[in-house]
Amino acid sequence: MSYLPTDDHFELVHKPIDVDALLRHVRAGQDGAIVIFDGFVRNESHGRPTLHLEYEAYESMALTKIREIGAQAHERFSIDRVAIAHRLGRLEIGETSVLIAVSAPHRAAAFDACRFAIDTLKKTVPIWKKEFFADGAVWADGEIPPAPPIRVEPAS
Amino acid sequence: MPTVASKLRVKVIFFGRIRELVGRSEEFEEVPEGATLGDLFDRYVTKYPQLAGFRSSLVASRNQEFVAWGTRVAAGDDIAFLPPVSGG
Repeated sequence: MSYLPTDDHFELVHKPIDVDALLRHVRAGQDGAIVIFDGFVRNESHGRPTLHLEYEAYESMALTKIREIGAQAHERFSIDRVAIAHRLGRLEIGETSVLIAVSAPHRAAAFDACRFAIDTLKKTVPIWKKEFFADGAVWADGEIPPAPPIRVEPAS
Repeated sequence: MPTVASKLRVKVIFFGRIRELVGRSEEFEEVPEGATLGDLFDRYVTKYPQLAGFRSSLVASRNQEFVAWGTRVAAGDDIAFLPPVSGG
């Protein structure tokens, strides 16, 4: 399948994610399926009612890592287009924090690539979530990204 | 080899609980030539002893790439000590 990177879409946004626009973006004539992951703000965390969330990112690095996920998805799966959007700042209950849409000629690849994309995002993209409760706020437990081996670089 | 120990100027960027602990989002630091990211982090532990408890859960980055703690710092680098990530 020919792969045109320009057909993918990756963004970090500080306003509501336009889900419909992303779905239109990945939907193409040669496709037969789109799989969507819509991650949104739950109203509780470990049994405590959540008031709202705040997301913070190392934006330049986070966008780079999200682009890498898209490129890896194309290498691993027979898919057409990938769109990944993550929202930052304050989010209310029920609002979408992350949206991943993958189109493909056939459903299996779209399911697999979408699962791969969200699982990898949660492990490798420098974004942090703070949960606000009636009696305070905490940074959510996260995942420690895999540390690379020491790279020997020539002296400059 | 330089005959006089020169200093490397780097930008250090903080996020999440580390940003809150240090009390700022970024700052410039000077480190001796040959210093590693681990050496730089150790200096922050001296200034902010509570950071010591975070070391095992942090990952270092240099110029927007995850790197090992033993990686040497170069002048002009963007360095960050990243808490466990919780996007999604």
